[in-house]
Amino acid sequence: MVFDIAVLTIFGLIIIGMAAYGYKISAKTAEDYMLGGRTIGVVVMFFFVLFAISSSWTFYGFPGLLYLEGPGYVFFIWGSVAGFAGLYMFLGPRIWALTKMNRFLSPVEALGERYESKSLRLVLAISILAFIVPYVGIQPLGVGAGFQALTGLPAIWGAIYTAVLLIFLVLLGGMRIVAWVNIFLGIVYVTALMGSMLWIVNVALPGGLPGAAAAILETQPELLSAPGPKGTFTPVLMGGTFIVGLLAFSWPHVVIGAMTARDKNLFKWFPLLIFVFGGLFFYIIPFIWGSLVAPAIMPLEALTARAAELGTSVEIEADRVVQTIIVQELPGWFGVFVLMGVIAAAVSTAAVQLMTSSVIVARDVIQGVFKPDADDREVTRWARWSVIGIVILSLSISVIDTGAMALYLTDVSIPGFAQWSPALVGGLLWKRGTRQGAIAATLVGVIYLVLGLLITPGGSRVLLLDLHPIVPTLLVNTIVYIVVSLLTPAPSEEIQTQFFDEVDEFLRSES
Amino acid sequence: MREVMEHTAGKVYLTYLAATIVGMVVAIVRGAMSVEPFLLFGWMTAPLVAGVIFVLLWLVGYLVYFFKFWPYR
Repeated sequence: MVFDIAVLTIFGLIIIGMAAYGYKISAKTAEDYMLGGRTIGVVVMFFFVLFAISSSWTFYGFPGLLYLEGPGYVFFIWGSVAGFAGLYMFLGPRIWALTKMNRFLSPVEALGERYESKSLRLVLAISILAFIVPYVGIQPLGVGAGFQALTGLPAIWGAIYTAVLLIFLVLLGGMRIVAWVNIFLGIVYVTALMGSMLWIVNVALPGGLPGAAAAILETQPELLSAPGPKGTFTPVLMGGTFIVGLLAFSWPHVVIGAMTARDKNLFKWFPLLIFVFGGLFFYIIPFIWGSLVAPAIMPLEALTARAAELGTSVEIEADRVVQTIIVQELPGWFGVFVLMGVIAAAVSTAAVQLMTSSVIVARDVIQGVFKPDADDREVTRWARWSVIGIVILSLSISVIDTGAMALYLTDVSIPGFAQWSPALVGGLLWKRGTRQGAIAATLVGVIYLVLGLLITPGGSRVLLLDLHPIVPTLLVNTIVYIVVSLLTPAPSEEIQTQFFDEVDEFLRSES
Repeated sequence: MREVMEHTAGKVYLTYLAATIVGMVVAIVRGAMSVEPFLLFGWMTAPLVAGVIFVLLWLVGYLVYFFKFWPYR
């Protein structure tokens, strides 16, 4: 245990050291702190975004779900790859050009100005914060469980360790160092995830992956196709899961990444990295882990017996199945390296979400509503100190009911992020989109989502027509946006020139 | 997106991407992922193969469009 704690201490000190170095070299301006001075190049951006979206869920929840339900859930990943690439191919250049030309520091600020509405800015800021802040707290708690399994110390120590790293990294380093540290964290995580898989296959599966598939074919063949052992992933659910993945372009912590780009050429090369290293390499590792390696080495019967022995549920043990196999099959020193990888995955995601939240709190809520005359230094100070408040708030929300938090991600956060997408896409691409349309659509979408999740007679989501929450709410949101925009006066010529014609001109001329 | 739609190549590209999405949804809904289970090379399950093909189609479309027709070169 002393070795484990020594390794984790050194790992933490490296991250804090990088954050302190970032603070030392930073320009101390709001633009530098919040957007890395808009100097992020394509390779850093790739690690920044890929590991902002690949949290410890890719080590616990994703393989765990595949282990129990078969391969159907992977369509969320395929949709997400297309969604992220689509953001950088089609919306990214305009978001970048628009915010760079006008010195906007937050995507919410850009939309507030585009629609000439402080009310919309506040509505968007509060709704995004409501959906993203609890998400931040889930990561340290996820690490806590792994920390406890490896060191024997209470899970809360793992959560506190991760939260302290997050606060130092974001408070001192700002967006530039968060992006740069994601390279280090990403390499640690990929090495741990892939290294453990290759080692396990070599040690425990002499027939390789075909041998694993053959073993599963004998014990639980339903795991190798949809709808899976429990019949969960029907064609309709898989199709819906794929569509939900496509909406990944609206995740605010990914949208803000596009604003940090150094130049427009980044948007030409970035999709190549997402397709090749994201879609065809990185995401396939946890898929193989959860759908082939884990069920071949630890069949469901063995996992069920383990859950009964430990007094936990099969679902919780399935989430930990990769870690359990690593601890059982590989040397102890490698276990701490894998935990380091999980912490890296958690920190790389939570730091970007925390950074995004602090930008919205400081720029859109405090400066946008209460202190419009604040100077650069004040805004940066609020952004830094809001980090501590957000971490405490998010951990408190997560601790209240950890069981409900897994559902919060898929049923609340992701549909919640989608509710600003009509205003975002329309604001960037449609001259006719109006302030009234954006406010009405966002409010209707968010209120419909919240009521649909709260009013569940007999456990049935009747208001949501028993569909995935994103489908009916986004459809209504989009219809309201289009209809109300067409029924209200078009934006002024000045706005149309500033947000469309000048952006077109800038993108054609800038190099 | 606006500037992409101004040119024929851009319209063709967007139509191609939309067709891959529709194709994927139709393949799923028509039961292409359901069942012996399909195993390419003895281990690649149908949802994995479908996803790899989908990503490769997007990769090819992107390479052709962005390196031949991208409006911001």
